[in-house]
Amino acid sequence: MASETRKVVIHLRATGDAPILKQAKFKIAGSDKFVKVIDFLRRQLHRETLFVYVNSAFSPNPDELVLDLCNVSCSLYGILGDEIFVIRQIY
Amino acid sequence: MITDSKGAATEAQQYVWGGAIPLQIHLHESEVTTLPPPPPALILAPRVGYLPLLVPQIKPFFSSSLPPGVDTVWFEYKGLPLKWYIPTGTLFDLLCSEPERPWNLTIHFRGYPANLLIPCEGEDSVKWSFINALKEVRSNFMSAAYIINGNCKNIMNMSQSDQTELWRSVLNGQLEAYLRVYSKLKLDIVGDNFSLKLNTSRQTNSENEATGTTKSGEIQKFMMLVASRESEVQSGCKIPVRLYVRTIDEDVDELEDAPIVDSWENIYYINCPVEIHGEGKAFSLNDAIKALLPMLFTEEASVDVDSQAPESESGEVSDGGSSRGSQKNEESLSAHTGIFKDGAEIKLVRIQGIEPRLDIPFGWVAKNLMNPEQYLHICIYVKAVQP
Repeated sequence: MASETRKVVIHLRATGDAPILKQAKFKIAGSDKFVKVIDFLRRQLHRETLFVYVNSAFSPNPDELVLDLCNVSCSLYGILGDEIFVIRQIY
Repeated sequence: MITDSKGAATEAQQYVWGGAIPLQIHLHESEVTTLPPPPPALILAPRVGYLPLLVPQIKPFFSSSLPPGVDTVWFEYKGLPLKWYIPTGTLFDLLCSEPERPWNLTIHFRGYPANLLIPCEGEDSVKWSFINALKEVRSNFMSAAYIINGNCKNIMNMSQSDQTELWRSVLNGQLEAYLRVYSKLKLDIVGDNFSLKLNTSRQTNSENEATGTTKSGEIQKFMMLVASRESEVQSGCKIPVRLYVRTIDEDVDELEDAPIVDSWENIYYINCPVEIHGEGKAFSLNDAIKALLPMLFTEEASVDVDSQAPESESGEVSDGGSSRGSQKNEESLSAHTGIFKDGAEIKLVRIQGIEPRLDIPFGWVAKNLMNPEQYLHICIYVKAVQP
């Protein structure tokens, strides 16, 4: 049985004119909402408007649980293991 | 979701798209600047629509009473700010334990609760949210074979005009137009796989092959099905589900006496794919709910696990990825287990305003009761047991 605080590794990649973060991988509790990732990036990058994508494909609702996103994204991609690949793009 | 081979809507889909909730909308008293206050606005809200889309129709009723300022519109039901990206029908099913008609909502044009709700800038925000949900489904739930072949790019790169047309059809509640774009874009891969799979459970395999090959348009889809079967568990079609669970105390006998929901924190929410499995026998709605909320089925847990075990084994044989996924699923769900106390039981399951029998095939439910963004929204009321 998994513990209630399962951690998910998030890999951040920059796209567009987004600056590259020194540290690209972060751990976050699966029970956190996606909005926490967005807020974290806002603070790190000092930008108000940013776009965050999962697997370069879609931009999830900030209300979604990180674990749910990881779960659906990885279940078919398989190869990605624990990571959600998030690409951020800033205009 | 969607269609038989001809792309025609099923009767149930027509009912879902035609379904609407009568709303009686009141302007919040803090924003009334005229005497007498404006009368409430009565309006029909499509089930598969979203509340902000109604604002252009509602605004004229109240515009003369509003204080000066910029509009930031939001809706409220008994003190709960409503999430605008949840379809109106789902909000109604979830928040009105006993359907209230007309549904009395309060509208606010000022003072957006930005700490509680995601900002909404009218139709564009809703469209963006809709298209993203669709992409989420497309990128996550298409058959593994499809992704490996690299064809998913075509679907993700939906042209601007197709996107607009698709959105228009949702905006105007035009099911036929919606299905037209769908079949044109071949967005219905999941649906077709899945209806063929449904057929399989009803017919013999040879019959299914026959129907697949006789219609020339079907050949490609049939090949796709074969390809996906090779790489996946045979019946491993995944249905994207958004599940909302509301807990009701044990001492509440009638649903209408259920206390109002005053915070979204009290709604337990999962976004989770449900894999249809069990060749030969229909995978029922009950099976799907068991997969989503295993902790509510503790009594039968041992039986349940036994019956599911063979499927996950066959999954390992044919495709490592998908079986790993289902393990993750279980982990993810077991991580939620603490939410419900022992002895909690399901009181009510409501989808698109219907309380379906739990023994009907889940495939039918998904195909017919899905929302346009291809998510099946399920509302469940759970009776909690006091410790």
